[in-house]
Amino acid sequence: MEDVSEAHYIGYEELVTDLSTLLTYPPPFIYINDPISPRTTSMIVDSIFEKFIEEFPGGSSSIRAAKVNAISCFSARLLYDSILNSLASWEAQWDDGCANWNIEDDGPRWNENFDGFIHGLHALCAYLQDEKARKKGKGKQKQKSTEYEGDDVRLIIAIERAERLKDNLPELLVPLTRLAELARIDLTVIFISDVQWEDIRPPLGASPDPFFIDVLPLTKETITNRICSKFSYTSDDLEPGPYHPSLKGLYSHFISVLCDVCFPFTNDPQELEYIAAARWPGFVQPVLDEHRRKVTSESENEMNEGDAGSTLHPPTEDVRMRLSRIFNSSLNSAMEELYPRLTNATEWASANQPKSDLLAKPPGEVMKRGTLGSSLDKDEGMKSLSRMSKFILVAAFIASTNPTKSDLRMFGRGLDEKKRKRRATKATGKTKGGPAKIPQRLVGPVQFPLDRLLAILGALLEENDVESRPPAPPEYTIPGEYTDMETGRIGIYSSIMKLTSMRLLHRMSHPDRIDGPPALKCGISYDVALLLAKQLDIPLNDLMWDPI
Amino acid sequence: MHVLEVLPPRLYPCLNSQKRAILRTLQISIHPYPSYEARKERGDDRTGLETNEVALQQLYDLISGTVNRGEGNSCLILGPRGSGKTRLVERCLLNIPNKPIILRLSGWTQHSDRLAMREIAHQLNQQTGTTIFVHPDDVPRNIDNDYPDRELNPFLDKSVSSMLVSSASLPLSSHLPTLISALPTLPRPTIVILDGFDLFSLHPRQSLLYCLLDTAQSCHSGAKSRGLAVVGITTRVDTVNLLEKRVKSRFSGRILRTAPPQDLEGWIEVAKATLMPRVLDENQEKSYNEEWKSLWNMAIEKFLSDRSVTKALNETFSITRDIRMLNKIMASLALHLAPTSPFPSVSQIKATVLSQRIRPRSPFLHTLSYPALCLLIASVHVDSTGHSTFTFEMLHECFYDQLRTSLSAPVQVNGGSIGMAFEYLVSVKLFTCIAPSTGVAKEFVKYHSVVAREDVKKAVDKTGQINLRKWFTKAQ
Repeated sequence: MEDVSEAHYIGYEELVTDLSTLLTYPPPFIYINDPISPRTTSMIVDSIFEKFIEEFPGGSSSIRAAKVNAISCFSARLLYDSILNSLASWEAQWDDGCANWNIEDDGPRWNENFDGFIHGLHALCAYLQDEKARKKGKGKQKQKSTEYEGDDVRLIIAIERAERLKDNLPELLVPLTRLAELARIDLTVIFISDVQWEDIRPPLGASPDPFFIDVLPLTKETITNRICSKFSYTSDDLEPGPYHPSLKGLYSHFISVLCDVCFPFTNDPQELEYIAAARWPGFVQPVLDEHRRKVTSESENEMNEGDAGSTLHPPTEDVRMRLSRIFNSSLNSAMEELYPRLTNATEWASANQPKSDLLAKPPGEVMKRGTLGSSLDKDEGMKSLSRMSKFILVAAFIASTNPTKSDLRMFGRGLDEKKRKRRATKATGKTKGGPAKIPQRLVGPVQFPLDRLLAILGALLEENDVESRPPAPPEYTIPGEYTDMETGRIGIYSSIMKLTSMRLLHRMSHPDRIDGPPALKCGISYDVALLLAKQLDIPLNDLMWDPI
Repeated sequence: MHVLEVLPPRLYPCLNSQKRAILRTLQISIHPYPSYEARKERGDDRTGLETNEVALQQLYDLISGTVNRGEGNSCLILGPRGSGKTRLVERCLLNIPNKPIILRLSGWTQHSDRLAMREIAHQLNQQTGTTIFVHPDDVPRNIDNDYPDRELNPFLDKSVSSMLVSSASLPLSSHLPTLISALPTLPRPTIVILDGFDLFSLHPRQSLLYCLLDTAQSCHSGAKSRGLAVVGITTRVDTVNLLEKRVKSRFSGRILRTAPPQDLEGWIEVAKATLMPRVLDENQEKSYNEEWKSLWNMAIEKFLSDRSVTKALNETFSITRDIRMLNKIMASLALHLAPTSPFPSVSQIKATVLSQRIRPRSPFLHTLSYPALCLLIASVHVDSTGHSTFTFEMLHECFYDQLRTSLSAPVQVNGGSIGMAFEYLVSVKLFTCIAPSTGVAKEFVKYHSVVAREDVKKAVDKTGQINLRKWFTKAQ
């Protein structure tokens, strides 16, 4: 167990020594900034507290620490209650009606406002001092010399993800940073955040500047070292599993390769551990299979041999090479799917499980598994759309992307039924001064009135859909009249409504407005629009004003 | 005699106790409620605090006038941050005889007069409701005054008024004037300390200030009234101008000023006193042997007389005279003492000054992941085309163009990694959102980069990736 906690600190030794030295006589306000992995830091701060309180003279009766998360404490009351409960080591019980910590059963509430919170802290201090005095009275003879002077109780309050306070509880930021001064007790407030103090500092210098502790990003070597030393043996010879002592060498190799692949993308040790945990069981699966096969065959051959043959030996260099060849390509895909959490580790691991007895097969036969098809399929949700809805979406995309003035050039038809001449080339941007124009596609969709959508839809239908329709009834004589009638059908409107409710179109104007056509905005990306256009045989790129 | 480079193991405990002693000294000087002796000793050590000594004397005279003669007084303590305003008041209060009732309010927590009043009631209950502070002779005579709330509300019957004594009970907001005008009738003189005085003046109609100052002004010394002192603490120079006319005319106009150390000598003196603390625990005294003492003192003398150290301190002094800044630098120095470097060194103070004083805006840029750096470079490119804001799609496009044109792009980035990098940059606030993002798809929200072009350049140079550098230099 000692070993594990040591491994926990690898790469963070400076933080550990700094903080635990500082806590002997702490400044009132400390700010710990870790831009890479605030979660790891806050876990380490936790264990520092634990260790510090253990070693502190007087133990938990003369020093108490609380750590709360500003994400979960999104309201002032939650924050006050969690801090007080955690300082008092009080756990709300369901049977007692989840009451908060208090001295008496119907004592005053500490969560009414900040003053109440400070009164709560005072009450807690008095309570702890009482408790301490009682304890001291009992064991007076035994530990007289090692007594921590005074009856003071020191409180440490750590708040992780402190940057959230700025958004959620801005009015508490100043009082919290001045808490020691306001409460006038021995107290330290520690903020832990991945944001710099300058970004959350209240204006006008209302808060005193904290004592800064910066956690430096770990190097690749340190991270590799850290993850390797966290390899804990959870399996033994009786039941060989992926975390077997003999596999530690292989694990270090695996981790160093993994870090080589992933380090350019993330240097958060937790993310790397997550990816490692997802891949490792699959990676050693062939070795374990091999071992199991050997054990079974041996026990079949010699029933009375004893269990000498059943120990799992570290795999040979050759095996390691083969495993690397098989699995290295999957590391990249693991990173791509697991780092953005497109899927979770368990699912990914089961989807990428290697075939059994991979090592028994000749190398040529081992097929490289294709990676799991990207679970974020762009076509998802588009399959159920009707042909007309697809037309509407493409028209909406065009309306959102092209400037209104360009519509006549793009879609206008003369009597000769020939397309008007398009703009010959891209306008030379540098003719006028000022910044270059950025394609609308990159800036985001603009809103357009419904009429324009219908007009563009009509033009698209006329050009791409006429052939696939049954011939127009004889009463429509003017070219395009039938299409015009089509776009006026109630079905089109209801499709637009449906697409709006699916958020593929966004309605921008207020639903209650009755004057003028409703304004809409396209909700699909260029890639999706291109996909739909391809299905409909629309040359989308030719219809875009800004060339791609 | 030369200074030791590496400490022999027998002196390790000495080093540790020295570290602790320094931190303790620092805590005492930061901590708002230190022991009186330590404070006195430190106060005597200081030079360059004459302004504060004068202010202390004036404040003492003022408060003792209230306490001893039952005067109504008001004053404002004005001084820059970290110049010892709060400390001044605390020092003064420690010396006051007869233990007056002290009401402490802070503009940071009492955002409204209602909250302030509840807090006043609470503190009154705390200080007068218990018998510790009440003089035995006063109890029968002033029994009503012990419970000001009862006097305020004639409609309450006795049982309710006794309930009021518990801290849960608080008067109604309409009782504010009565509650405050009852202050001089309490058994002991009252001192009201208003931290963040300027914030109280922002409350609507300034009714709390009006009531307090009016009561203080109309407080006649005599047998009945016990005196009231209102002490405001603020850093804001124009605070008096913020007061309404009716409030200002009731304010005595007495302004006591505090100042930080005026010259560098005083500053260095403080540093020296911190590094060579006299206050030591008994426990520490044991391990604090003479050998270590002489070594340490010599090292400190040498350290403080070093020109770079003086320069660093001088720079700090020129930027801020806040003594807390010096304390932080000293604490950080003490933290980084180790057996391999047992005495503070020049390089340490340089590093410390960098990490505690004016912090570099984004020191970790060069350790950013590859996609994040790419995005930063892309943002510089977008910026150089004349657009100060950008969307994710713009950076993405810029990045892909680069990837297409240069075949030597080191890493093929696809999947979610570049999006993750973008979100990371947003979450550490290197990219800040400038437009309200409701109803806009995530990739089209407009952002602004707070990283200066030079910083990106430095970071790119530091990573030593030639591709990135080439791409960066293309942005003109």
